[in-house]
Amino acid sequence: MTPVVLAESLTKRFGSVTAVQDLSFELDPGTVTGFLGPNGAGKTTTLRMLLGLAVPSSGRAMVFGTSYARLDDPLRRVGAVLEATDFHPGRSGRNHLRTLSRAAGIPDARVEEVLRLVELDVAADRRVKGYSLGMRQRLGLASALLGDPDLLILDEPANGLDPEGVRWLRDFLRAYAAGGRTVLVSSHVLAEVAQTVDHVLIVANGRLVIESPLAELTNRVGGSVRVRSPQAAKLQGALEHAGATVTAGEDGALVVNGFTTEQVGELAAADAIVLHELTRAGASLEQIFLELTSGAGS
Amino acid sequence: MINQVRAEVLKIRSTRTTLGFVAATVVLVVALTLLTGLLSNSLHTVEDQRQMLGLGGIAGFFSALAGILVITGEYRFGTIRPTFLVSPSWPRILGAKVVASMIAGAVFAVIGAGLSIGLGYLCLKHRAFPIELHSGDWAYLVFGLVAATAIWGGIGVGLGALIRNQIAAVIVLLAWTFVLENLVFALLPDLGRYGPTQAGNAMTHSNADHLLSPATGTAVLILWMVVLTALGMAWTSHRDVP
Repeated sequence: MTPVVLAESLTKRFGSVTAVQDLSFELDPGTVTGFLGPNGAGKTTTLRMLLGLAVPSSGRAMVFGTSYARLDDPLRRVGAVLEATDFHPGRSGRNHLRTLSRAAGIPDARVEEVLRLVELDVAADRRVKGYSLGMRQRLGLASALLGDPDLLILDEPANGLDPEGVRWLRDFLRAYAAGGRTVLVSSHVLAEVAQTVDHVLIVANGRLVIESPLAELTNRVGGSVRVRSPQAAKLQGALEHAGATVTAGEDGALVVNGFTTEQVGELAAADAIVLHELTRAGASLEQIFLELTSGAGS
Repeated sequence: MINQVRAEVLKIRSTRTTLGFVAATVVLVVALTLLTGLLSNSLHTVEDQRQMLGLGGIAGFFSALAGILVITGEYRFGTIRPTFLVSPSWPRILGAKVVASMIAGAVFAVIGAGLSIGLGYLCLKHRAFPIELHSGDWAYLVFGLVAATAIWGGIGVGLGALIRNQIAAVIVLLAWTFVLENLVFALLPDLGRYGPTQAGNAMTHSNADHLLSPATGTAVLILWMVVLTALGMAWTSHRDVP
């Protein structure tokens, strides 16, 4: 199956500065992928190469098996928002969308649909310079949705949104991907997308640090298991004998490192130890994120 | 391509800047035509009358300004990114901008020429000057004003594609049309007549010394538009979209 997005050894240099170096990844249909990294990590440059706005110094950037510029009807395949400021301040929101829909041969009725979808229909005739940052983000999203595309590429879409807006965006993106469509959303704040994405790509200093399902990432980096038992001493002995590191947690619980929940459960069953609680207590995602990106930075 | 042109026309229509250019065209053409038509005593020859009736040609300057803004405004406000994402082809984007700017230029021209010809004619009648223009002269005057002003719109797009900075592009236009070209034409008329302003003046079949014929003037002005747009396209397409 052709990946929806394919980045192959992407490198982008600006003079002596290498913004993106040898970056490779691919996205399957129906996934919501978080493209994460601190500011200046190369996220936007990578997205710009995928969209044909920047030419890679080397490597290939493909969407739907071809370069963006070769897509027959790009607005109907890919919806993208890179900046929340890409509007003429003196043009109304509705006219901004109409300039795009006309160029793409999309009927004006679709403009009204997306305006309602992002809840901007009431303000649509106001000039964009009177819009708040959140309204501009939603207008950008509306422009990306005009062609009802199969792939959404959004660069920091939650910037400027209030908590209600962030929740709206999260629900929207999940619903969008549930229909088999693909979303690539960048952010420098992991918590912003942690409840939305099922896959993460983390970049730092222009390099891919990790590509992983979110759950696997949580397990893989610093994950621990919290277990409570009326036979805590016996369980601790058995776990330590098996090679786990065990420390005392809150409420008499044990915190086990180096074992998965399945391994702890099986070991307890083998020794007929009663368990009252067995949960994965992963490191906080933000902690993982900082660990990974600061490690790459050094 | 037609969709792209429709989109570009809407971009021009949907900001107040265009209305400002139309208003400036109206004010300047009305003022200059009335001042000349009511106060000048040099309105006896066909060339004098053509000069006054052709004052609507000032719309060409605003047409070029609008053309510059059509492309530099996209860079200034970042709208070049969504424009490119909808249609990732520079020939199509710039081609549509040229056509749309020529359409806008034609509208400016109809307003400017309509005012200068209409008011100028009334002034001549009011002051009982015999009209020296004959049917062919009228046809050249209208054709020259409208066609040259439309082409100036396309020239503005080419200039704006070459000089993305809006202020710099406007300064170059002002310096070229009001200073440099006049200087070159005064000092080296055989060379200066190939400049865009003089080529545009030739399109009204002006009898002024050293000007080209209307047909050659039209061809030269179109050539300016094509060359500037082609250079702008070559310059743009080898660079990342900012």
